[in-house]
Amino acid sequence: MTFKEGKEEYYQGARKKVLFTTLCVIGVVAAFMISLTIGFYDLTVVECYQIIINHITGNIEDVMGDDIVWNTRLPISLYAIICGATLAVGGAIMQTILRNPLADPYTMGISSGASLGASLSIILGLSLWSGFSDDLSLVTMAFVFSLIPVGVILFFSIVRKTTPSKIILIGIAVMYMFSAITSLLMVTASEESLAEIYAWNIGSLATITWPDVPLPLIVSTLCIIFLYSQSRSINVMMSGENTSRSLGINTRRMTMICMVVISMMTAVVVCFCGTIGFVGLVGPHIARVFVGSETRYLLPASAAFGALFLLVANCIAMVAGTFGLPVGVVSSLIGCPLFIFLLLKMRRKAWK
Amino acid sequence: MEMSDNKIRIDIEGVEFGYSANPVLKNIGLTVNGPQLLSIIGPNGVGKSTLIHCINKILSPTKGVVCIDGEDVSSTTLKELAKKVGYVPYAANDAFTLSVVETVLIGRHPHSNWKSLDHDLDIVYETLRLINIEHLAMRSFDELSAGQHQKVMLARGLVQEPKILLLDEPTSNLDIKHQMEVTRIMRNLSQEKGILVIMISHDLNIAAKYSDNMIMLYDGEIYAAGTPEEVLTVENIKTVYDVESEVVVSHGRPHIIMLDPEFDDDVSPLDEETFIRKI
Ligand SMILES: Nc1ncnc2c1ncn2[C@@H]1O[C@H](COP(=O)(O)OP(=O)(O)OP(=O)(O)O)[C@@H](O)[C@H]1O
Ligand SMILES: [Mg+2]
Repeated sequence: MTFKEGKEEYYQGARKKVLFTTLCVIGVVAAFMISLTIGFYDLTVVECYQIIINHITGNIEDVMGDDIVWNTRLPISLYAIICGATLAVGGAIMQTILRNPLADPYTMGISSGASLGASLSIILGLSLWSGFSDDLSLVTMAFVFSLIPVGVILFFSIVRKTTPSKIILIGIAVMYMFSAITSLLMVTASEESLAEIYAWNIGSLATITWPDVPLPLIVSTLCIIFLYSQSRSINVMMSGENTSRSLGINTRRMTMICMVVISMMTAVVVCFCGTIGFVGLVGPHIARVFVGSETRYLLPASAAFGALFLLVANCIAMVAGTFGLPVGVVSSLIGCPLFIFLLLKMRRKAWK
Repeated sequence: MEMSDNKIRIDIEGVEFGYSANPVLKNIGLTVNGPQLLSIIGPNGVGKSTLIHCINKILSPTKGVVCIDGEDVSSTTLKELAKKVGYVPYAANDAFTLSVVETVLIGRHPHSNWKSLDHDLDIVYETLRLINIEHLAMRSFDELSAGQHQKVMLARGLVQEPKILLLDEPTSNLDIKHQMEVTRIMRNLSQEKGILVIMISHDLNIAAKYSDNMIMLYDGEIYAAGTPEEVLTVENIKTVYDVESEVVVSHGRPHIIMLDPEFDDDVSPLDEETFIRKI
């Protein structure tokens, strides 16, 4: 094999990785278009797009239809994209920096913190500020509490040298404590509150409306761009602390920066829709099967696949059952078999 | 590929280090000047890896200074240091499976940027060819043998293009041919490219054959330093390893023959029923 051929082989592999991401992006666009046309109201595809065109051109004819397509389906679908991409990217980077395939954006206890915050708000009616509406109280409580476990981990990382395993273990310990408090609260809760908390923990996009979209959109976009800008350094961290240091990376600082960025974007997304699981853990792994683990390819691939996955899951969630299902349930139900199938089927070894 | 700036110097003065209260390194003082292959030898747990880690800032000495080309490493940033000092650990523990090319490419980090991929790949393939593992390029790092792993790790250190390369037992998993090949390549590279290669080794004979100089660690201190002939004496080996030996000179290099008074002249024969036979 000559030199040129070797490099060509590498580039060929790289092109395939880019192709996977491109296909996912095309899939996202297609699924997005489709998602606007499905739901419980009898609107034909043509009607749906007519409504959208009418809204954009500013002559709304069908107020009811406009409300369904423009004000309900559109923000939900957009949010599915944001949420899927954010969680999958968070998972991919957490796995890489902690060098652990079981890590995900919730490894730092974000989900347990968020549900405690949500429970406090739903059951005890606690709020950060008395002027907040119920919805806003819930969102802000979930957001603030989701960051407490991360704070604990960061505190330990600053005062003591922490290894990835320690970070994961502290995260688990904090998670158990928060879950215990949440359970304690639930004992005293009314049936309605319980149902609400339960739904929140599974995660649902059904309640998303336009005002919920801008903040997660902006924060996630910025965070993902930042993480991508650091992807070359993050990639080196797979080689372990000693090698990374000798390649010029302050692993401790890098780990903390990534944890802060990932927890910010995850918290912002999750506090509006509840703790949607699965996609953050398995999304990156499915992407790994196709593009390998080099961060510069894995990150965009995870983002695109995560978005596609949650969008499709949400389409199914919207039409399944009598009133639709929570997207968290659907994503696990279709995602697990898909993941196990890929694990068994694919030849590429992405894990040890 | 002659280096324009050929000055290489490491000064270690009064270095002490301990992981806990009891010190591992006590008062290490050493000057290494000029490109060469330098081996560090000494018994298990004596602090060879620890010493190397103090040179490239993986650890910070509790006392004393390490200077590279006159600059104190404690005030050098990791980034700057990474351009000068490369490191190959004893064993790779990369978390996820990458291909060999991707694994080696990581070593280009200190010099690479968003646009340098093509150039970096050139260097990666060049290096893979140099140590004869070009055929492994697209293989998955995980599916390699222990010796092949070791060569890939070595390639990762080489593509870093450092002036000083620190190798922690780089040949421990290699067969005799490849041990010789890799060590010879390191020695030749040190002269061709003007780099200082510091290698920890447990194979005294390989180290003696190829090293320009050696240091021998014992009880947290440098017990002996100099050419292989100066360092590998019967007395030194007795003190440091507590092993009896004979040293013969072959092609101008010392060669150690290990002796075991408890065994050599006193071997009890196996009983007749114990045998092996090739069939
Ligand atoms: N991370 C650590 N924490 C605590 N003690 C350590 C650590 N690493 C090494 N040590 C101790 O420091 C001493 C020196 O270790 P080091 O790894 O430098 O030995 P070495 O000379 O490289 O040995 P070997 O030939 O077995 O590789 C040993 O006694 C070891 O137990
Ligand atoms: Mg060692």
